[in-house]
Amino acid sequence: MATTACFVIVSRNDIPIYEAEVGSAAKREDAAQLHQFILHAALDIVQDLAWTTSAMYLKAIDRFNDLVVSVYVTADTHTRLMLLHDSRNDDGIKSFFQEVHELYIKTLLNPLYLPGSRITSSHFDTKVRALARKYL
Amino acid sequence: MVDPANTPLGRMLLDEISPVVMVLRTPLVEEACLKNGLTFIQMLKPFCVFNNIDVPVRTASDQPYRLQKFGLRLFYESDIRQPNLEVAKERLKQVITQAAEKDLSELCSDLPQINNAVSRSENEVLPSWFQFFNKELVHTVSFSDHEAFDHPVACLVVVSSKDDQPINRFVDLFNTNTLPSLLTSGAMDPKILKHYLLVHDNQDGPLEKATKILTEMRSTFGSDCQLLCINSSQDGVVEHQDYPWVLYKSDDLPSQPLRCFLNVDDFNEIKDLMQDLSTKHIIPYMEQKIRVLNQQVSATRKGFRNQIKNLWWRKGKEDVVDSPSGPTYTFNSNESQIRVLGDYAFMLRDYELALSNYRLISTDYKLDKAWKRYAGVQEMMGLAYFMSDQSRKEAEYCMENAFNTYLKVAPSSQQNATRCGLWWVEMLKARYQYKEAATVYFRVCTEEPLHSAVMLEQASYCYLLSKPPMLHKYGFHLVLSGDRYKKCDQIKHAIRTYRSAMSVYKGTTWSHIKDHVHFHIGQWYALLGLYDLAANHVLEVLACSHQSKTTQELFLRDFLQIVQKTGKAFEVLKLQLPEINISSLRVIFEDHRTYASSAAASVKEKIWVSLEEEMIPNLSTARTNWLELQSKLIPKKYKESNVCVAGEAVKVDIEFKNPLQIPLLLSSVSLICELSENSDEMQSDANSSMTGVQNDGESTTLNHRDVNFESSLFSVSDVGFSLRGGETTVVQLTVTPRVEGILQIVGVKWKLSGFVVGFHKFETNPVKMIRKRIQKAKHHSDNLKFVVVKSVPKLEGVIHPLPKRAYVGDLRNLVLELRNKSEFAIKNLKMKINHPRFLNIGKRESLNIEFPACLEKTNSDHSGVPANPTDVSHSMFLFPEDTIIQGETPLLWPLWFRAAVPGNISLCITIYYEMGDISSTMRYRTLRMHYNLQVLPSLDVSFQISPCPSRLQEFLVRMDVVNKTSSESFQVHQLSSVGHQWEISLLQPVDAIFPSQSLMAHQALSCFFMLKNHGKPSTSEDEISTHFRLQGTDVRLGTQGSSGPHFDIASSPLADFHHCERLHQEILHKGDTSTVDFILISRPLKNDNNPVGSDPSHLFSHHACHCSTASTSSISWLVDGPRTIYHDFSAPFCEINLSMTLFNSSDVVASVHINTLDSSTSDNLNDATPVQPATSSDNQEGWHDLSLVTDIKVTSDVLKVRTSKSTPVESVSPFIWSGSSSTRVQLEPMSRTEIPLQVCVFSPGTYDLSNYVLHWNLLLSNDQGNRDRRSSGKCQGYPYYLTVLQSD
Repeated sequence: MATTACFVIVSRNDIPIYEAEVGSAAKREDAAQLHQFILHAALDIVQDLAWTTSAMYLKAIDRFNDLVVSVYVTADTHTRLMLLHDSRNDDGIKSFFQEVHELYIKTLLNPLYLPGSRITSSHFDTKVRALARKYL
Repeated sequence: MVDPANTPLGRMLLDEISPVVMVLRTPLVEEACLKNGLTFIQMLKPFCVFNNIDVPVRTASDQPYRLQKFGLRLFYESDIRQPNLEVAKERLKQVITQAAEKDLSELCSDLPQINNAVSRSENEVLPSWFQFFNKELVHTVSFSDHEAFDHPVACLVVVSSKDDQPINRFVDLFNTNTLPSLLTSGAMDPKILKHYLLVHDNQDGPLEKATKILTEMRSTFGSDCQLLCINSSQDGVVEHQDYPWVLYKSDDLPSQPLRCFLNVDDFNEIKDLMQDLSTKHIIPYMEQKIRVLNQQVSATRKGFRNQIKNLWWRKGKEDVVDSPSGPTYTFNSNESQIRVLGDYAFMLRDYELALSNYRLISTDYKLDKAWKRYAGVQEMMGLAYFMSDQSRKEAEYCMENAFNTYLKVAPSSQQNATRCGLWWVEMLKARYQYKEAATVYFRVCTEEPLHSAVMLEQASYCYLLSKPPMLHKYGFHLVLSGDRYKKCDQIKHAIRTYRSAMSVYKGTTWSHIKDHVHFHIGQWYALLGLYDLAANHVLEVLACSHQSKTTQELFLRDFLQIVQKTGKAFEVLKLQLPEINISSLRVIFEDHRTYASSAAASVKEKIWVSLEEEMIPNLSTARTNWLELQSKLIPKKYKESNVCVAGEAVKVDIEFKNPLQIPLLLSSVSLICELSENSDEMQSDANSSMTGVQNDGESTTLNHRDVNFESSLFSVSDVGFSLRGGETTVVQLTVTPRVEGILQIVGVKWKLSGFVVGFHKFETNPVKMIRKRIQKAKHHSDNLKFVVVKSVPKLEGVIHPLPKRAYVGDLRNLVLELRNKSEFAIKNLKMKINHPRFLNIGKRESLNIEFPACLEKTNSDHSGVPANPTDVSHSMFLFPEDTIIQGETPLLWPLWFRAAVPGNISLCITIYYEMGDISSTMRYRTLRMHYNLQVLPSLDVSFQISPCPSRLQEFLVRMDVVNKTSSESFQVHQLSSVGHQWEISLLQPVDAIFPSQSLMAHQALSCFFMLKNHGKPSTSEDEISTHFRLQGTDVRLGTQGSSGPHFDIASSPLADFHHCERLHQEILHKGDTSTVDFILISRPLKNDNNPVGSDPSHLFSHHACHCSTASTSSISWLVDGPRTIYHDFSAPFCEINLSMTLFNSSDVVASVHINTLDSSTSDNLNDATPVQPATSSDNQEGWHDLSLVTDIKVTSDVLKVRTSKSTPVESVSPFIWSGSSSTRVQLEPMSRTEIPLQVCVFSPGTYDLSNYVLHWNLLLSNDQGNRDRRSSGKCQGYPYYLTVLQSD
């Protein structure tokens, strides 16, 4: 389990629709905004990279000090699943992304969910955290 | 690709890597120069750079080339040493601080737009002081011993003509021990080119003396001597248009020379001097040195043999030198010479030669582990690659290598790394690789915050300049940089960077980012004392529900502190604390519709309208009148506005929500209103008295109006409350206009924590759009503009004591109290109730009567209150004509309440009244009252009626009572049948029915009654309703011991409610003509305290109406005849006459056909399965026909009856029906006829004469045929036992 991990799903309009601190490290007050800053800044890189490859998993694309940003881009709407982490478990991260993507698709299938709006489902949240414990 | 020399890096290198000339001068030289406000070097400096020197140069190769650009760097001997780091730092800090002072004004301006930033070119974006800062950073590492390009190439020895013994001075100057350590320590060759210069100040005297000295010098030092005359301007100050020193403006130059004695001749002389020095002395000297060194290097290092030797030699040397800073090399060592060769070649633009030498030396240094030197050489290689515009990759690789080596391997060469980084960055920038440049800037960052702040800021601009611009990164690096600026107290810079970042993060939904940026910039503004700006920024982060509680507290506390420091009442438009739910906004106002309670106002308008439909005067006429009146008072544009009455409050419900986890204290919550007084000139008046909010949205200041003046126009309620974390509260605010005019509710304002005034304006524009669409159904919150009309009387009403919950059947006496506070009278009261089953209007006389005693039946005829003669159920109730309510005296009126059906009932009562004063703008108003009550089920009463088989016009009634309450007990008191033709009586003694006297919760009970129909049957419904005087018979169901009173069902409330019930239940039971109504009266038993006695004050009535008496067959009959006959069987047979009475209870003609059967009974029963038993007891267990033998006793045993039915009593001997075996008769509706029957008996015994079958058939016409009723049937005969005895 990674000590620091911050998972965000960013919609097509660069709006975060889901945020979760899934790291095992004790929460620090200023960590949340630093993580957001790093992830937000990495959007530029994703923008460049997403069009150069057909793979959805873009691997580690950006780093800030010892924190690495891994990104997974969904094929349809360019929703970005971004993970900020300090571990090097590449396979785990890939599996994590794939499973979360599946969860996200299930959310999209919900007729009451408006695509691009915030994901507030507690079920989704618990599932994501469970996946994080499993893979990261 | 542009020429590398013309790129910023190229120009920079020209500045930084050019031959150094050491200047030695006497104080008198300096003195002469300072007359012009310039030092000697400053004076020469403008002429040290040659853009088009055009000198042929020949270095190692035989092919000469022409050098175009060339420059010299002049330094005093005291400056040629490694700069002090601390001093340098201090200097850098000063530079930054100065830069901050400059753009203070900018900090207060509007936020920059990101689009502007993107579209601007590089030079506009970058603050100009960056370059200067970078330069200073590079200079911190100049004159290091391992880099030969900083070593002086030549020495300029300057003596003034005023000096005594100038020749000696020249010698002394060079021999002093003030020479820089580079020369003395052996890092460089102390034998350098010397050039002797005599400076003559023309003001001091004629030139002769100077020329004399010059010739003397020439004889002593050789040809390298020159004379420079300055200050030749005789006539004092000369103002120069193109002052050359201004062009070379740098910060160490005094910006405004006060006096200048230099004239054009001097310029030319200086210029010639410098050109001469470069072309004739320095360049040839360097050329020569290059050639010499090159030969040496070739001899020792070039060629295969030398290489091997060198390698072997170095291997052996490895363990000899191992000092921490790497080996030291003296100037005459091979390595130093190669380096000098390389640097000289670089300076003379022979990059090929330089590169080859750098390559050679770099491997040597690497082997020697002289990392700093190695890195320095790598750095130079990179630059050489760049300048020669060769392999781009190689150049970058070298720079990176140098940078990494400086950082990681070489100790304490952070400054070198920085310089290397900056050059690298410039290299990347020159090739438009901004993204890479930014990462290099990021790597240049050191622990020192100030330094890295500037680097990060530069990195951010690189991201901005990259194509496409990387705005996210731009913002992030600006924020990082801002944080570092803040760390070293450069608050202004911090704010500047954050402000730039704001352009990226404006309107972002990344909540933490938004909070961080706004909060910090707010804090910093506060530190600078710009509290207004600070408050505006901190305001943005107040509604931070996603943050932790401590952060929320911090934000709020800081905000309040800042606001306090502003020292004035801080007014915020759209303060986010607390949140206001605009969709919850509800306006309750009263025009002609008034409400008794807020609950009444929340009832849908539609319900009221339908209720009042009949009451209010005819709509069209009323409307025209009303409009006419209104149009006189109100200009056209307000015609559609709502109307409210002066002196009556307009209520606004607003929902406040606290989004935070910490409590908020709100005070002075009130509405913002405008009231323009109504006078003749509407428009002008509006301008004069309306001093409203002038511009919507933009300005955050409200005009403060004169409070006294304001309060005379209207008064506003003032509420204070506190909201706990996450709490939502609905607050009712009121505004009461005092004068006629136009009232506009603009918004709401409140005070947070006592001094922050927030206000929120209600948007009116979108509302207006909606209003047009649903103009008819005027919703309350649609419009916030009201026309205030003159005050009119208002009726207030209350019903007490209306229970909140009741059990079904509960009958109560209530009082309606109406008040009119104004002195004007109101009249013509009318009242209507939406549920007449629940509420009934009593008579005025019954106001003071005692309930339920008033219902008791006494002997006298006029007992109780007679029922209302009018039909009260549907139409409205008109109060007597003379009813006038005025002043303080209330009108009391009795109401009867009865809980009719279970469920949640909303009772709407509307009272219409007209003004006594005709001149008022409203002719009438309505008072709307609304009550919610919960009715719980209590006793569930059902009746089953079936005709008595033995008698015509008599019925058996079974009453099933179930107590459906969970805890209450009831005592069944009285059962009454309604209608004078019905008479009900008990079938069993009361004690047998109610052994326990009461019905406990969930208890069920059945009992039986006999119902007789005497008198003429009623033929039509109308008859009943017109002669509506309830008559009937009662049965007391209480025990004998408890003597309760009989209640008169004909008395007012019971009869009225019964009538309502009848009307209501009629809808359910259509079509049956012969029906009977029952009223069951029960009383609740007092719980625990007195379980036995009944509660005298409560009475429950249960009405069951239209209980059908019709059985499934519409034909009933009765066989009549002797039961016991004595007959002498000596005679052949006994003939017995019987008669059958047939009755047709249906409303059509029936044809009846009687078949007598002679076969045995049992056979018949088995054969004819479809034959229906006469008493239809298909689905009623325990409900049987009564056998004639046991007429009185009710048998509840099913089995017994079955046996009696299936087996003939004891006789098997047959008898014969002796009349006609088949008789057919026609029966008129509701008529009876008699048919004679005859049997012959042959032996004594008891016979069951039930073996006949009755077929009946209703002769329906076609239109009646579709009725859901049996039109024909077949009935088995009743048992009729005949005993024939042998007579003596």
